[in-house]
Amino acid sequence: MTDMIAFPEVVHWAVPFFIAAILAELLWIVIKGRGGRYETRDALTSLVMGAGNVASSILLGFIAYGFFMLLWEITPLDLGTSIGVIALCFVLDDLRYYWVHRFGHRIRWVWASHVNHHSSQHYNLTTALRQTWTGTFTFMMVVRAPLILLGFHPAMVLFVGGLNLIYQFWIHTEAIGRMPRWFEAVMNTPSHHRVHHGRNPRYLDCNYAGVFIVWDKLFGTFVPEMEEERVDYGLVRNLGTFNPIRVAFHEWVGIFRDATQRGLTWRERLNYCIMPPGWSHDGSRETSTEIKARHVAAHPESAGTPGLPPLRGHTR
Amino acid sequence: MPLSILLPMVVLGIAGIAVLLHLLGLSRRAVLADEAAARAAWLREYPGDAPVHVTLCQDHSAALIETGRGRGVVWPMGADTTARHLDGARLTPTRTGLRIDLPDYTAPRVHLTLDAGESARWQATLKETA
Repeated sequence: MTDMIAFPEVVHWAVPFFIAAILAELLWIVIKGRGGRYETRDALTSLVMGAGNVASSILLGFIAYGFFMLLWEITPLDLGTSIGVIALCFVLDDLRYYWVHRFGHRIRWVWASHVNHHSSQHYNLTTALRQTWTGTFTFMMVVRAPLILLGFHPAMVLFVGGLNLIYQFWIHTEAIGRMPRWFEAVMNTPSHHRVHHGRNPRYLDCNYAGVFIVWDKLFGTFVPEMEEERVDYGLVRNLGTFNPIRVAFHEWVGIFRDATQRGLTWRERLNYCIMPPGWSHDGSRETSTEIKARHVAAHPESAGTPGLPPLRGHTR
Repeated sequence: MPLSILLPMVVLGIAGIAVLLHLLGLSRRAVLADEAAARAAWLREYPGDAPVHVTLCQDHSAALIETGRGRGVVWPMGADTTARHLDGARLTPTRTGLRIDLPDYTAPRVHLTLDAGESARWQATLKETA
């Protein structure tokens, strides 16, 4: 079994490209007067979150890598490092990304880590870099376990994961409208991902894809960008601070405060950790499902359209 | 990539982009054009809690909102806005207006720019809430 395999740290090597692309997008917006918005403190927060993500991966990356190497010791399978195997690993890892991302929106413990990526009211290339500092604590590395047990080397799995993240960088822009139809049909694009960042009821909890949008179409979570409904970016309740510490940890603080309230059962405490964001023991808050239902009740004409449920008691 | 290259590149990249954005005039804060804009900004955060009264501050940087559920405030978050209810808020007069401390980790402090008379009126109103 091959233990020592080296793949480049692609995300680190992509940093100069990230900086150049941000400058190019900014220049485009300033010159053309369209294609997105930038604001200093928002962009600065996003960039600091990105730097913190790199720092956290350097400091805590050994935990996930140690876990993966342990699995690599156990597995009798070794698929090698041919181009075909790397390509297969990339596709399967993108499926892994889809599910981790979906868990990230539907399980509050994982959302606590991912929420900061959605906390900007802007959508530009700096938003792509607004990444988590606390991903290790979600334990979502277990979703990569099957890949390693199937014989994909941990270094390769991390390498293709890095390529996946780099792909997702360019789709965080309003400067690109739509790509050719065949591309929109298969790949994740700026249009599909704008929808994912929307706080409009219609656009909540959809388009989880990393590279291939086909996963959303396959698993029923795809919502197209609607010409008649402009995407409103940010959180259902937008933050009132640019402080990166608060951006990084606010949902963890929220979970702690909710789960340690007096008078709850242990089941309710657990539910504050694992139920979808917005769940509450007394029904005083709304999950995305409830937000969509309320929206449809207020706007019956929108019932059953993409991203929205049918009217309660009706089927379409 | 060696840390000796990565670290300076990240630091200089972030600082350079931030300075450039500021020099391009992209640090301007949101302005609430009128009461309708303040109302819309509130409803964006609390769609089920319609304002019954809106008090826009004189420089249009924030608004005091009254709803059936109590009082709240809308204020700029960079080029955008956010809003919060004022339950449990603590008020402190400042040289430029008023500071509101909220028991909310996601919005701990709001600095309002108000003139002296306006500040006194807002304090009197908000003390009923706090």
